[in-house]
Amino acid sequence: MHRLHVKIFLWFWLGILIVSGTLVLLTELSHSRADDDRAWSEKYAPRLDMWARQESQILRREGPAALERYVGSFEMDPGVTNYIFDAEGHEVLGRKPAPPVLKLLASMGDWPPGRPKIDPNERMIAERVVDSRGDTHIVVVDWPGPSVLNRSLFEFLSPDFYAERPSRSASGRILAVLVVAGLFCFLLARHIARPIDRLRTAARNIANQQLQTRVDESVLERQDELADLGRDFDRMAERIEYLVTAQRHLLADVSHALRSPLARLNVALGLARQRTDQPSEHLDRIETEAERLNKLIGQLLTMARVDSGVDLERPTRFDLGSVVEEVSTDAEYEARTRQCAVQFNQRGECVVQGAREMLRGAVENVVRNAVRHTNERTSVEVSLDRQPAASGSRAIITVRDHGPGVPEETVDTLFVPFNRVMTDGRSNPERTGLGLAITRRTFEVHGGSATAANAPDGGFVVTLEMPVLEGSTA
Amino acid sequence: MPSMPAGSADLRVLVVDDDVELCQLLSEYLGGEGYAVEAVHTGRGGVERALEGDHAIVVLDVMLPDLKGFEVLRRVRAESRRPILMLTARGDEQDRILGLEMGADDYLAKPFNPRELSARIDAVLRRSRPEASIDRRAGVRLVVDDVSLDKGARVARRGQDALDLTTVEFDLLDQLLRGAGRVIPRDELVRSVLRREFSPFDRSIDTHVSNLRRKLGPAADGTERIKGVRGIGYQYALHDRSSSNTR
Repeated sequence: MHRLHVKIFLWFWLGILIVSGTLVLLTELSHSRADDDRAWSEKYAPRLDMWARQESQILRREGPAALERYVGSFEMDPGVTNYIFDAEGHEVLGRKPAPPVLKLLASMGDWPPGRPKIDPNERMIAERVVDSRGDTHIVVVDWPGPSVLNRSLFEFLSPDFYAERPSRSASGRILAVLVVAGLFCFLLARHIARPIDRLRTAARNIANQQLQTRVDESVLERQDELADLGRDFDRMAERIEYLVTAQRHLLADVSHALRSPLARLNVALGLARQRTDQPSEHLDRIETEAERLNKLIGQLLTMARVDSGVDLERPTRFDLGSVVEEVSTDAEYEARTRQCAVQFNQRGECVVQGAREMLRGAVENVVRNAVRHTNERTSVEVSLDRQPAASGSRAIITVRDHGPGVPEETVDTLFVPFNRVMTDGRSNPERTGLGLAITRRTFEVHGGSATAANAPDGGFVVTLEMPVLEGSTA
Repeated sequence: MPSMPAGSADLRVLVVDDDVELCQLLSEYLGGEGYAVEAVHTGRGGVERALEGDHAIVVLDVMLPDLKGFEVLRRVRAESRRPILMLTARGDEQDRILGLEMGADDYLAKPFNPRELSARIDAVLRRSRPEASIDRRAGVRLVVDDVSLDKGARVARRGQDALDLTTVEFDLLDQLLRGAGRVIPRDELVRSVLRREFSPFDRSIDTHVSNLRRKLGPAADGTERIKGVRGIGYQYALHDRSSSNTR
């Protein structure tokens, strides 16, 4: 269950409990005040005289034990207490009356016998009775329950208040309300929270470049604003997909279209060279630039290909270690011309699934970059580790050079296409600004990522990671 | 649109590319290098001319309007071992591997430097003409375990079965068998088989090795005949030393 679901559920449930609780309370209170107060005085006052006489008679004839039995039967009404005091003010049955009872008893000083004294606030009736032998008793009946006016609000919240008048039917009712309200609130909360959750999933998928994602049918079938929101979301997703695809296609189409003239340009340049025997600085320059254009178009097409995902339609499984090692070995040749070396370390086997050549190119971009930027007579360290993670092991490739690194503020933009890092105040024309972007996209479409950072002790570290195919070896 | 044959028949080049202007420029350029170029602009025409013509080499673009370059390659390879150089799309590593796997002798990413094209054509041609190859021991037979190689007839056999090898694969097998048991560095293989300078990050030789491996199949004991030695090169593994000899 998600937070929104829990929140809505709890709030509604609490709301229903408070409303129903208040209703019950108000009914109780109005009932006590209006009806109960009248009921008890009407019920007991006229008869108290007779009861008091009987009690005094039983006590005299049969003793306290018989009286206790009688009083017990009398008190069958829940919560009603019947005290009998002798002339000295002692409770005949030895019970300890509450202070309000004693207060009423004390006020009976010169009250004439045979007439009930009613204390409506405390809901008690007292009467003095003098029997044939002249013994005086005072009988007090304490009617249970609140006299609202004298009770503070907080008393309602104490468990004693309810314990005082236990009612099996009442607690059953409360339980029923709890369950029914709970069930209702749970369903209501789910009804509201679930489509929101679905929308959120869809939004997240789109953010993760799964642009074909649309809102779940169950959201669209609803007859409310959430369904409208779902439809609007779909329209937005469609638009985003269209724009992103169009942009990628445009890039790919432009690159394709540029290829033919560039191929002709290259041959024409070759012809121009063929016709003249003199070395020409300008032709050299044209050739260099044409070569740069070749390379740029190659990379643009690679980027388009990675984005299209065609190479992942038929993925193969292979040992990532062999790919990284091949690249490291090849890079070693390039590094030697600068008196540098490439060291490769593998810790743990990493069989992965994907497009081998695409990943090779991606790793190659990073390693060659490192070879180009590491200082002379230093080495580039390439390592492959297998790291256990919650969702299966990950293959981690780190490529570290011992070069100047990059300005800290540009680290994050290195992977953005065409974002070129300025070194010594100018950008390097040999860099197309696409290599690392291709690398990142490649690892992303393989379920991984590419990150970079300056090493604390100098140099630059690029970390590539992707999932390892579990339960298989090369 | 056949161009005038400028040199001998074995210097005739068939270019299959739908870019008419590029073909004209290439005719002119390669003409200057001593080749006679015939250009065909469709895949079907390419298959036809490659099979009936007497060109020394076919330069085949992968992007053709009617048949895909690979289909042209497949149809030509089904009937002929005529050397084929593929022009693959830049940024498409898969094309390169597919081309070499399907029997192309070499590839070049397009757009290319025409000097590079000329050098590649040159290398493929030198390789495919046994009499012009650096190895002059015509008729020499190499036998290692159950694999034999007749250099005069350019036939390789495993047991009694003739192997269907491309020129590159034949030369590669030749090099590996001659150095059987020894690890031959990759750069050496590139120079002697592909006849070009070794350049790092060019995995052509490895693709050829894996194609050759596939065609040879495993040795009698089930192990790989050609072993890769990480970071160095390849070795043709000797299984039964007593039976290996050179006649």
